[in-house]
Amino acid sequence: MKNLILFALFALFSGISNLNAQDAGDKLIGLWEPSNGKARVKVEKIGNKYYGKIVWLREPNDPQTGKPKLDKNNPDESMRSVPLKGYRMLKDFVFADGEWNGGTIYDPESGSTYSCTIKAKDDNTLDIRGYVGVKALGRTDVWKRIQVK
Amino acid sequence: MKALLPFYGLLLCCFFACTESQTIVFKTAPIPLVASGPLFEGANTAQGDFSPNIADYLKQQGVSLSSLENATLQKVSLTLPDSLNSDLVSEITLQLAADQVDMQKVAVLNPVPAGQTQLKLSIAQEQKKIADLIRQNTMLLVADVNLKKDMESDWHATAVLEFLLTVKK
Repeated sequence: MKNLILFALFALFSGISNLNAQDAGDKLIGLWEPSNGKARVKVEKIGNKYYGKIVWLREPNDPQTGKPKLDKNNPDESMRSVPLKGYRMLKDFVFADGEWNGGTIYDPESGSTYSCTIKAKDDNTLDIRGYVGVKALGRTDVWKRIQVK
Repeated sequence: MKALLPFYGLLLCCFFACTESQTIVFKTAPIPLVASGPLFEGANTAQGDFSPNIADYLKQQGVSLSSLENATLQKVSLTLPDSLNSDLVSEITLQLAADQVDMQKVAVLNPVPAGQTQLKLSIAQEQKKIADLIRQNTMLLVADVNLKKDMESDWHATAVLEFLLTVKK
């Protein structure tokens, strides 16, 4: 009986801590702006991972064509007609140990994809670190939350 | 050493004969995709999921799951309930994902032709981990649709995916 109670308590507390971890991870959900202010990225949760797509561009049209910007630097030529508005530049982030890991960030200006980790400095500020191979050899950008009125 | 050359050649031939592959087409049932309204002009997301049950399908073809070597997506068809659902959309990008497999961008249609309810998407040339995706119990379909204007109701579509499976004989 004593074992049963202990097991029930353990199950209850582990359930609560899982819920808390989920809640903490969901802080990433929302609208964010990179430091260059060129775009706004909406982060959402799909399945158990977090994804961010471009929903606003300061310059939505390509100055050469006058039409909406496309992913013209994508290494896969067949995907160069994908519009940048709606583009998923943050993909496959999982929340663990207080940060979002395991994901990638895509730079549409170079067509390059980098490994990426995200840390919340506070509720409205993110450190987004993109890197190739070793985390130490990367670059960090600060993103600010956009409050939706 | 020279005398052994024919033997090595024979061994190599046997190896390739034993690892000969065949291809099988796997077409999904229609998969419903929904973006819950109200929806705003710009980027929106429609989602759906399905269970490939690829082990059962391969078993019906007389092949085991362990012999699946590779898979590629070769066709994506979207059916919209009416032309309103296509007229409001400027572009569609389709991605596949699963809990254990990273999201892959697999198809795009830009622009979406007006007045059509049957859409064929262009398929990505570079495809990775499709075999891993298809082995999962549940696969997620994520369609990013750019809307030309706000929409009060849900946006619906059904997708049919056709995969080409390469299996060991």
